[in-house]
Amino acid sequence: MRFSMKQERGGKRLVMNMTSLIDVTFLLLVYFMVSTVMAKPEDRLTPTIQTQNQSAGGSDADFQPQSVDVLLVNGVQVYQLGQQTMQTQQELRQRLSGLPVDLGVFIRAGDGVSVGFTMAAMQAARDAGFKQVTYVPLEK
Amino acid sequence: MRLTNRAQGDRTLILELTSMVDIVFLLVIFFMVTSDFARDARAEVSLPRLDGEQMEGMEEAGMYINLDEHGDILLSTSEPPVSLEALAERLSVYLATEGAPLVTLRADKQAPIVIFNEIVRVLEASGVSSVRMATEVPSRP
Repeated sequence: MRFSMKQERGGKRLVMNMTSLIDVTFLLLVYFMVSTVMAKPEDRLTPTIQTQNQSAGGSDADFQPQSVDVLLVNGVQVYQLGQQTMQTQQELRQRLSGLPVDLGVFIRAGDGVSVGFTMAAMQAARDAGFKQVTYVPLEK
Repeated sequence: MRLTNRAQGDRTLILELTSMVDIVFLLVIFFMVTSDFARDARAEVSLPRLDGEQMEGMEEAGMYINLDEHGDILLSTSEPPVSLEALAERLSVYLATEGAPLVTLRADKQAPIVIFNEIVRVLEASGVSSVRMATEVPSRP
């Protein structure tokens, strides 16, 4: 930016030369327009992780009904909570809402199910009020 | 942009650039604020559309592990996929330098659970007790 004084009919007039400033601003605009990538907003679920080796201290029955198994049954992904089988996140959340939340819940996923379906179980547990959600990968 | 032609003896063309410069500055600020320079660590995966924990504030930096729909493990967009063994090595280097491990697992919603489970086992074996699993916030109407 350059300031210069121009003589204008008796009085003085201040002229700002903004050409280079505008040039640089346009360059910045083009740079940010080209380099920017509109990121989709992300959030997270933060379960505790535990392998089955660690949790092998108790029998399978010790987990019930505070464990949700995510399984593939006859080609359909289902949630199993004790003896109950559910197919949607909403159903699972309703069932979990009736359980004591202080004890926490285990989510266990076996082969064949999708990551999205498994994480929906973690979300359902969180929405049902569980603060302690533990993810356990099922043995092959 | 308005052009004014003032006839006063000689003709002087005056360009009124004020509003244009205002808009250009606003655009520059917008793109500066929305630019995300840490995207190199985030591969293009289709995350599960879940509300998540609805955390407020900025996400802290940490190690990103991306799992795409084919089961490939990516630690950045500029690197080829890595094996589980290589992941374990990188993880041990990261954990040795960072005091509190912050690991974010960005898994595609269609990714095979077998690989996902293997990653969880590697994390657990490396001493990571909890992992952030990234979700895509669903758009509200």
